[in-house]
Amino acid sequence: MPDGLFTFFAALTLGAALLLVLSRNAVTSAMGMILALVGIAADFFLLDAYFLGVLQVLVYAGAVMVLFLFIIMLLDTDDAVGAYPWKTAALGLATFFLLGAGVLWLFHWSGAVSAAPAGATPPEFSANPAEFTTAAKSFGRLLYTKYLLPLEIAGFLLLVALVGVVSLSKDAPEGQA
Amino acid sequence: MSPDFSSLVHWILFLPLGAALFIALFLRRAGAVAAWLSTGVAFALAALALRLLTVGVGDTTWHVELAKLGDISLGFGYLIDANARLMLFVVSFVAAWIHLFSVGYMRDDDARGRFFGGLSIFMFSILGIVVADNLLMTFVFWELVGFSSYMLIAHYFDKDYAAEASKKAFIVNRVGDLGFILGIAFCLAHFGTLNFAELGALKPAAGWPWVLGALLMCGFIGKSAQFPLHVWLTDAMAGPTPVSALIHAATMVAAGVYFMARIAFLLTPDLLQLIAVSGAGMAALAGLCALAQTDIKKSLAYSTLAHLGIMGCAIGLGRPDLAVLHMAMHAFFKATLFLGAGSVIHGCHHEQDMLKMGGLARKMPVTTAAFVAATLSNCAVPFLAGWYSKDAILEAAHASNLYLFTLLGLAAVATCLYSARMVRLVFFGPANSEAADHAHESPWTMTAPLVVLGLGFSVAAGFAADALIPAAALARVAEPLRAMTFHATSAATIVGLVALALGALAFRYYGRAAGVDSLRVDLPRFYGVLEFRWMDTVYGWYVDRVQRRLSEFLAFLDLLLINGVAVRWLGAGVPAVLGYLTGRTLHRGQTRLYALSLVVGTLLLAWYFLAR
Amino acid sequence: MEHTTLAHHLLLAGLLFALGLTGVLVRRNLLVVYMCLELMLAATTLAMVAFSRFAHKMDGAVFVFFVITVAAAEVAVGLALIVALYRRRGTIQSDALNLLRD
Repeated sequence: MPDGLFTFFAALTLGAALLLVLSRNAVTSAMGMILALVGIAADFFLLDAYFLGVLQVLVYAGAVMVLFLFIIMLLDTDDAVGAYPWKTAALGLATFFLLGAGVLWLFHWSGAVSAAPAGATPPEFSANPAEFTTAAKSFGRLLYTKYLLPLEIAGFLLLVALVGVVSLSKDAPEGQA
Repeated sequence: MSPDFSSLVHWILFLPLGAALFIALFLRRAGAVAAWLSTGVAFALAALALRLLTVGVGDTTWHVELAKLGDISLGFGYLIDANARLMLFVVSFVAAWIHLFSVGYMRDDDARGRFFGGLSIFMFSILGIVVADNLLMTFVFWELVGFSSYMLIAHYFDKDYAAEASKKAFIVNRVGDLGFILGIAFCLAHFGTLNFAELGALKPAAGWPWVLGALLMCGFIGKSAQFPLHVWLTDAMAGPTPVSALIHAATMVAAGVYFMARIAFLLTPDLLQLIAVSGAGMAALAGLCALAQTDIKKSLAYSTLAHLGIMGCAIGLGRPDLAVLHMAMHAFFKATLFLGAGSVIHGCHHEQDMLKMGGLARKMPVTTAAFVAATLSNCAVPFLAGWYSKDAILEAAHASNLYLFTLLGLAAVATCLYSARMVRLVFFGPANSEAADHAHESPWTMTAPLVVLGLGFSVAAGFAADALIPAAALARVAEPLRAMTFHATSAATIVGLVALALGALAFRYYGRAAGVDSLRVDLPRFYGVLEFRWMDTVYGWYVDRVQRRLSEFLAFLDLLLINGVAVRWLGAGVPAVLGYLTGRTLHRGQTRLYALSLVVGTLLLAWYFLAR
Repeated sequence: MEHTTLAHHLLLAGLLFALGLTGVLVRRNLLVVYMCLELMLAATTLAMVAFSRFAHKMDGAVFVFFVITVAAAEVAVGLALIVALYRRRGTIQSDALNLLRD
């Protein structure tokens, strides 16, 4: 049996995700999304990935979701009134149950996943850069050595995204609005 | 190391940057204030450089690590050795007088703020190269020099030729810099350090790989306008004349020579041979080409090319000390020549054609005196500044290789010929145009630099070096300077004297007819060969015929393979086939169907890879 | 922590992924669809951290760092696209965006 904290946060996360998927109101969906992200961040903490947990809350639940809320308020569009076509509903249910069953089989019944416990609490910092450690500086160490090129590319990607957003959010050309 | 050494260098390096930023931010409209601010900073720099030269004589270093990536350390630091001291003095001193000259020369320009800001950023860049203690820092400032020269050459950017000349200078320099940065990468990969001192301490068992020197040399070839990347230098005359003086005399082209002297220990004998031959060859050719230019600044530009060839040859002969000495002497007299040309152009209301000048000796006496003094120095008249370095290089060439000596001798003769022609056409004879007739002497801001640099340093920097130049700056070159004595029987002296005699004959020859070029009349075909821009034509042919065809071919491949086959064909073909098989089109305009097929496809792929 | 195994975390991640995908497939409001997409992404990061923790390797965690970076950039661009779409078409209901059908 998993421990209580994990059970609690897993249930919270799944419930919030359900709210996100099922709610008619986009703002409620966004609230569900925020809750789900906080739940995932809590799971990060349970996995001793404190830095990532904080990052998740700051970047995702904070910045990104605020952006979403802004856009939702700006566009102010709920789902169209009226029932879902039964085809769509059936498709959704079928997808969820098929995929859920696949996940359960793959990770639980198939026995492919090792049931070994996580082992001792990881150290805060270690001389071996590849070892799982909790301090933020162990991220920095890898980012500036082994993952330097991906880091540069990610920075460049952010720049490109910035430029893209600026050019996208300019007014539409005349006659095409 | 004295305690205030690094802070002094900080001041020298960052003062011009501060001035440039201040001008760029606040003084773009206030040209007069910007001019005097920039000039004041330049003189303050010269004073600080003098102070630094009195602080100590030994090599001093200062270094701070900026980033450490694995085993690679990237840093910012100073290495002040004997070469750096001399260069520091020459750059800051000559540049200060050029700044003062610019105050007068650019008085009527609307964009003075931009111009003086550019001069200050140029000072920052070049001083960065001088004090840099590692290859990467050198490269960064190297590129800054490229940028600021681009900005200064394109000062009259609304003129097509200026815009194109600056573009040309920038692009040609990039070709050389590609080699430079590859060399840096190579050095890092093989030796793990970019620091000059650490590299110098390394003694690889198998000797230095020739590739490293060759790659780094590419940067020198571009920046110092060595063959075959010399084409930008003559076009760079499109900038204002003080810029030409700054670029050609004191700083930009000297940066390459200085850099080569700094990494001289990396160069293998084969490379040295190559530099020597190409340098000597360019010296002779460029000297002759100067005979076929009517624009006074272009003629001087070819003269600079010739002297750069001589410096390159000195490096190739394994005498970087002589190259640095010649660079310093050349800085004094060539700055004077360009400033004199600027004064003439200013006096003649922006007339640059030498055939339309003449008779200026009476109207502009100070300019004439300085110009003639610098010209004599340029021709290496014994005991003037130019003689001390140029004849020393000739001697060195004579001692090592007769072919090189012949080429350099030819260069010396050509120097005397074009110098005589220039002085004769510009300052003597009758005035050949309205503008020359109404010429007037320039204001004191322009004549003062001419007097100091021309009548002072161009003449006396050799025999009175101890009085004019701080001892610390002379440390590296003191020995060849003292060793120069007049031997009437040495080969170099004989060649030099013959060249001077020929120059005197040329002076008479060009005096025969006014308003025309005597050589062009007598030997039109020879003149045409000299005037023709061979390398430009070759590059034009290469870019137009080879490179453009290649790029058109690649564009065609892109259109055919990527656009046609990979994108259009797959994008249109696959749905068409599937649609035909399933009896209806896949495009139903429903986002969720696209998403669903994406998921199914992903799952199939995952299953395939997991089950394999 | 003693009793939670890798499978538990993976199950949670897998179920979140399935929920997100269901949302992507059935929802019509593009904004909600986009949030569901982000949920799928977050679910994969959860799996990655779990693997990283249980294998005692740092690399997975560092990769999550990159995923979060990319996701932030992606959200910015995606939302800008949605806004541009709304400006041009006046709607962000996926059912109404079916020009490709013709």
